[in-house]
Amino acid sequence: MPAKPPPNHFRLLYFASAASFARKSSDTFPAPLPLAELFGVLEKRYPGMTKAVLNSCAVTVNLDYVDVEEDGGKEKAGVVINAEDEVAIIPPVSSG
Amino acid sequence: MSDNMASTHRLEEEYTSVTLTHDVLNPLSMMTEVKSPKAGAIVLFAGRLFNHLQSRHDLRLPGTTRDSFDGKPVTHLVYTSYPPRALQTMLSIARSVKEKHSLTAISMVHRLGVVPIGEESILIAVSAPHRQAAWKGGEEALEECKEKVEVWKLEEFGGNEGGVWRANRDGATGVRVDDRIP
Repeated sequence: MPAKPPPNHFRLLYFASAASFARKSSDTFPAPLPLAELFGVLEKRYPGMTKAVLNSCAVTVNLDYVDVEEDGGKEKAGVVINAEDEVAIIPPVSSG
Repeated sequence: MSDNMASTHRLEEEYTSVTLTHDVLNPLSMMTEVKSPKAGAIVLFAGRLFNHLQSRHDLRLPGTTRDSFDGKPVTHLVYTSYPPRALQTMLSIARSVKEKHSLTAISMVHRLGVVPIGEESILIAVSAPHRQAAWKGGEEALEECKEKVEVWKLEEFGGNEGGVWRANRDGATGVRVDDRIP
């Protein structure tokens, strides 16, 4: 995996279709970032990514799956991505 | 892709092991791993790459993006993974299948990187006192793997076609490597 992200940033890993779309295997973004805003930030950097890739993807934070959609419209404080977290976009798998 | 290039990643505990490797898979060593005086049956599943694109086409099964590539044979596949996450998923599958079917031992390995047609991409070996449990446990472990393990398959075609990321989940379309912003 790549080196540590710069201070006050987190690293986002891309796999499979997400990596093809971004044309790279990771990015760093400023932290903290509410999880609910993650796809919006990505769409801004990679226009069209939500529809082409993200809508069918799951997300992990430090290897644990988190619920991106549930986090959306809720009043209660959702998951926040912190500096040095390792976040990953997980496309539908095709193992075997 | 995002694999770190260490060639093998592995987690193991008593009578259970899960591995991701860039090396050629070895069915015999998998059987050896699950051997036990307590086990009267060993079931070994070996998933081999074959030219399933062509086969699907021949069978006229409804498919995903296959039609765009009529007649173009897959030359090889490339598997990528998120190794620490995939190993956790594999271990959790191995533990639960082992407990549910009272298996003696279970070992699972998935190959990463370039895998030529005709070679194995996944091996699952289970042992149990009796064969029914071994058959069922092996089958369930494979199904769970295909559904959940964070490994991705890129089908490569000859020439300048690029490749297609497959998805095991029904209805999830493959994504062509070229379907991206310029």
